[in-house]
Amino acid sequence: MGVTCVCQVPVAEGKSVQQTVDMLHKKLEQLGAVKQGSFWVDCETYHATGNTSGQPSKLLYVMHNSETPLSCMALFEGGPCLTADVNFDVLMLKLKSHFQNAKGHKVESRGTRYRYCDFLVKVGAVTMSSSARGISVEVEYCACVVPGDCWNLIKEFMQSFLGANVPELPSVFATKSEGLYAPSDCMDTMTQYLELFSKVRKQQVIPGASVR
Amino acid sequence: MADGMNVGVNLEAFSQAINAIQALRSSVTRVFDSLKDGMKNKETLEGREKIFITEFQDNLQSVNRDLNELERLSNLVGRPSESHPLHNSGLLSLDPVQDKTPLYSQLLQAYKWSNKLQYHAGLASSLLNQQSLKRSANQMGPSAKRRPKVQPSALVLPPQYVDDVITRIGRMFPDMTIELFRPNGTSAVLLVTLGKVLKAIVVMRSLFIDRTIVRGYNEDVYSEDGKLDIWSKSCYQVFQKVTDHATTALLHYQLPQMPDVVVRSFMTWLRSYIKLFQTPCQRCGRYLQEGLPPTWRDFHAFQFRHVPPVMERNTD
Repeated sequence: MGVTCVCQVPVAEGKSVQQTVDMLHKKLEQLGAVKQGSFWVDCETYHATGNTSGQPSKLLYVMHNSETPLSCMALFEGGPCLTADVNFDVLMLKLKSHFQNAKGHKVESRGTRYRYCDFLVKVGAVTMSSSARGISVEVEYCACVVPGDCWNLIKEFMQSFLGANVPELPSVFATKSEGLYAPSDCMDTMTQYLELFSKVRKQQVIPGASVR
Repeated sequence: MADGMNVGVNLEAFSQAINAIQALRSSVTRVFDSLKDGMKNKETLEGREKIFITEFQDNLQSVNRDLNELERLSNLVGRPSESHPLHNSGLLSLDPVQDKTPLYSQLLQAYKWSNKLQYHAGLASSLLNQQSLKRSANQMGPSAKRRPKVQPSALVLPPQYVDDVITRIGRMFPDMTIELFRPNGTSAVLLVTLGKVLKAIVVMRSLFIDRTIVRGYNEDVYSEDGKLDIWSKSCYQVFQKVTDHATTALLHYQLPQMPDVVVRSFMTWLRSYIKLFQTPCQRCGRYLQEGLPPTWRDFHAFQFRHVPPVMERNTD
């Protein structure tokens, strides 16, 4: 478990999502990265029902990551978060009276996983209701655990295959650049994915009432 | 069998004691022989009895004499040394198959050889230091007297001394913690934790550094049975490279007379790795080369450099 950075790559001019993903794969393979299987990250939204005061109900996001296939992460945006067993999904079903699943809002990112020296790169296509919306790139530098130390290193690596699309320092790092990166429960990674998915959701104008 | 191992034994007295045992045995045999033979054939009964009793007394007195002699010699022989200099490997000597696998005698020879080599190297270095090749004047004269006394055999140091030296060095650097373990006998094994960057395991032989292995901060240093794992390599390529560099460093820093200076220099060199991920290479200005940050630290200037795949000598 190292320092992870998740960013969104804009789709290249005149190309589709899949073609841009293929371009990135080719660049990685040129660098010398080795394919190591596939990955997926998904996120489901639940509305908290029973809120009578008229405020927008809080949204609970339940996320899964193929890196930790036996866990399930639940987070409120900017709020408390928890890591649980996969049976948490079944628990959410039982809590149907309190949390309603927003079926159309499930976002997921699927793609290939590459390993280059001590880096793990995951390039995935973000889809929402089976329509491709964007590209997510996750870069993890496994050898280091302090984000403040190796941010420049990760940025240089991302520049080598993303070109000019290198992101800024993620907000989760700004608060604890000297501290240890989420030691084992990858909560910081999930927070970054959540931000990305929210941005992707906002990009598409959803007709009708939207809670966001 | 154990030649030279029982150095506390007086070999001369030992051989005399063996002879004394033989003498004692023969005098005891004489006593029983005379009893068995009974009285010799003489004219009168009194004469026979007298001769028999005198003979018996003589024999018993010689037994007594021999026994006293043996006791005196056994006190001179001395005890074999209690502390095995080789600890558990002394148990190898119990293997009876001596011809096929002369393991123990070879082991003893190897140790004697390396001890002698160390001693000679110490002598040679003190002689060479006298003929200093440095051109600057006024340095060796007064300071030679203030230099610490040369340890005649720096290989057999009391463990307490080693502990003290290590604790003192540990206190010198605030961002480096050193823990000392002794899992196998008297050799110390140090676990050096450098900030949140790396953990290094340093295996020592009294105060000399034997080998080192460097792993990441988030890697496990203990093996499955709870002991310190000193053999398995790191999972990360960067720390495998740092292990190689650390091995080069411990071969570079050599000073047979002042091993604590060596340990201090090594720790100072290792401490520069706290900025392993933060510093770009001083030569090319980049952070990464083939996916690795600059892992080479110069031994004098502590500059950070990448190591190219084909090792070229850095002639500075």
